[in-house]
Amino acid sequence: MRAVYRILAMSIATGVVVQACAIAYALFDILHKTDDGQVFTKDSDNAGIAVHMVVGEMIVPVLVLALLIVSFFAGIPGGVKWAAITFGVLVLQIVLAYASYPVPVLGVLHAINAFALAAVASLAMRQARLAGSTQASTPVTA
Amino acid sequence: MRKSFKIAIALGATVAILGPLGYFWQRSLVPGTYDMATMGYADFGGGPAAGHSHGTGGLSVDTLTGPASAKPDVTVTLAAHQESNGRYTLNGTSPGPEIRAVKGQLVQVTLVNDNVTEGVTLHWHGVDVPNGEDGVAGVTQDAVRPGASFVYRFTVQDAGTYWYHSHQVGHEQVRQGLFGALIVTEPVFAEGIDQVVQVHTFDGRRTINGAAGEAALAARPSQVVRARVINTDAGPLRAWVSGAPYRVAAIDGRSVNGPTDITGKSVIVTAGGRVDLTFEMPASGAARVDVGAGAALVAGGAAAGTEPADDVDLLSYGTPAALGFDPARATRNFDYRIGRRAGFLDGKPGLWWSINGHLFPDVPMFMVATGDIVRMTISNTSGEVHPMHLHGHHAVVLSRNGVAATGSPWWFDSLDVGDGETYEIAFVADNPGIWVDHCHNLQHAVDGLLAHLAYTDVTTPFRVGGDAGNSPE
Repeated sequence: MRAVYRILAMSIATGVVVQACAIAYALFDILHKTDDGQVFTKDSDNAGIAVHMVVGEMIVPVLVLALLIVSFFAGIPGGVKWAAITFGVLVLQIVLAYASYPVPVLGVLHAINAFALAAVASLAMRQARLAGSTQASTPVTA
Repeated sequence: MRKSFKIAIALGATVAILGPLGYFWQRSLVPGTYDMATMGYADFGGGPAAGHSHGTGGLSVDTLTGPASAKPDVTVTLAAHQESNGRYTLNGTSPGPEIRAVKGQLVQVTLVNDNVTEGVTLHWHGVDVPNGEDGVAGVTQDAVRPGASFVYRFTVQDAGTYWYHSHQVGHEQVRQGLFGALIVTEPVFAEGIDQVVQVHTFDGRRTINGAAGEAALAARPSQVVRARVINTDAGPLRAWVSGAPYRVAAIDGRSVNGPTDITGKSVIVTAGGRVDLTFEMPASGAARVDVGAGAALVAGGAAAGTEPADDVDLLSYGTPAALGFDPARATRNFDYRIGRRAGFLDGKPGLWWSINGHLFPDVPMFMVATGDIVRMTISNTSGEVHPMHLHGHHAVVLSRNGVAATGSPWWFDSLDVGDGETYEIAFVADNPGIWVDHCHNLQHAVDGLLAHLAYTDVTTPFRVGGDAGNSPE
């Protein structure tokens, strides 16, 4: 269970990196297409934005939910706490995303909060690693 | 003992999280086939719950058709074809053929499906046809399967600019070209040049009548031009005339009363909406109609100017006139509140469009009876603009954000409701049927921004899904 917890936390942090990559690609793809005289409208498709929406609304939320549930069983000191914090930061991230449609400047907070999400997921990962090493050393001292 | 206690708590917490999620997920699932008229919950808008009794079982949609026997004045056959590149054509072209009729004529269109596997229909956008001719798959007819055909017959009662498009898998078929213009003219046409400006963005390129960039407008000095701008895209469009002052002569197929000259401003054309711009060609012979993104009709080599910074406000444009009914005597009052809510849409998690706080299919069915005067307050707090389109009726704008309309009666069938805006509208329920009232950003309709206006005594024999594969959006 600890390993599962650690891998889930790592996947969430990786998900944030994937999101940054997708959105950077999206922006450059749109700019590049304007070279070709194309316009970006309500009808436009963009692979980067599509990936960002699937990862942000489906994959990462499932991972965060799984982390929370696994934390109940993993018995990692502080494991539930960090999973819950990760969950809270994710909810804030999604709220900021949708608040940014009418108020684009809020996108700045969405970007900053992305780093927070990666950070708390990494701390959860570290928590699992610490718990693992404590346990590994336990038989020796016992 | 202590360990099992911990596991029990963990299991309890898991159930506390997954239980409600599973419940809401399961509840959101839409059956494979269903009667659209029975979806959601009835909203009677303060009117009586039952309509007039019409004997047994009321009216069926498939009996609400145009004249069955009379000889048509305009006869058209349209063959729908899916091309190898994913585009759709009608009689080999996209946009499809321009259909022209004179006010009062009987139009007969035979839709033939060459090879479109998912099926096709034609909806006469803005024409208040009898319900059975409305072309909505699964509500007013079954989608026309490959090799099959369907005949639409209706009398065009109002001169104006309209268009037709598929209402089966509409978000894909319309985007990829399954549409065309339908123009109804007055018996005596007063203007010199009658020009359709059908705007569609194909693969990032804005086109007018299928051609990207600039095209020639064949108009000579002192001729009057009527440019019929049709927005077939999913988002609002800015259109403007430079080189001469212009007027907004009509909106959504209804004349504007007392239009005044406009210079240096653009007019917003709602997605699905139409605006007729009229202007007299200047002595220089140089003028142009722009629709943004470099697409324009150009006469006399008129050079592109800068896009106007301001828009004409249709709420105060023109002069007032009688509506023909009294909105203060409304017998039904509805709210159509568009928001955004976390939840499941047919099992898919996300933040989806909500109507009065509910997600599709648990949305209101606005119930009316023939003769009702209906008021509706459409508000939008969803963060994006929604071009709301009511089938089968023209409504009039009473107010926007509490400010009463002071210009010409602003009749519409497609209305941009921006984020943070509230429109009060009114119309007379004079066309029995089951009518879609949805967002014409057709992907939004797929994502649940779709409700219906239903007459209390009308039923439909058609089903969404099922063997016919009906998928109206």
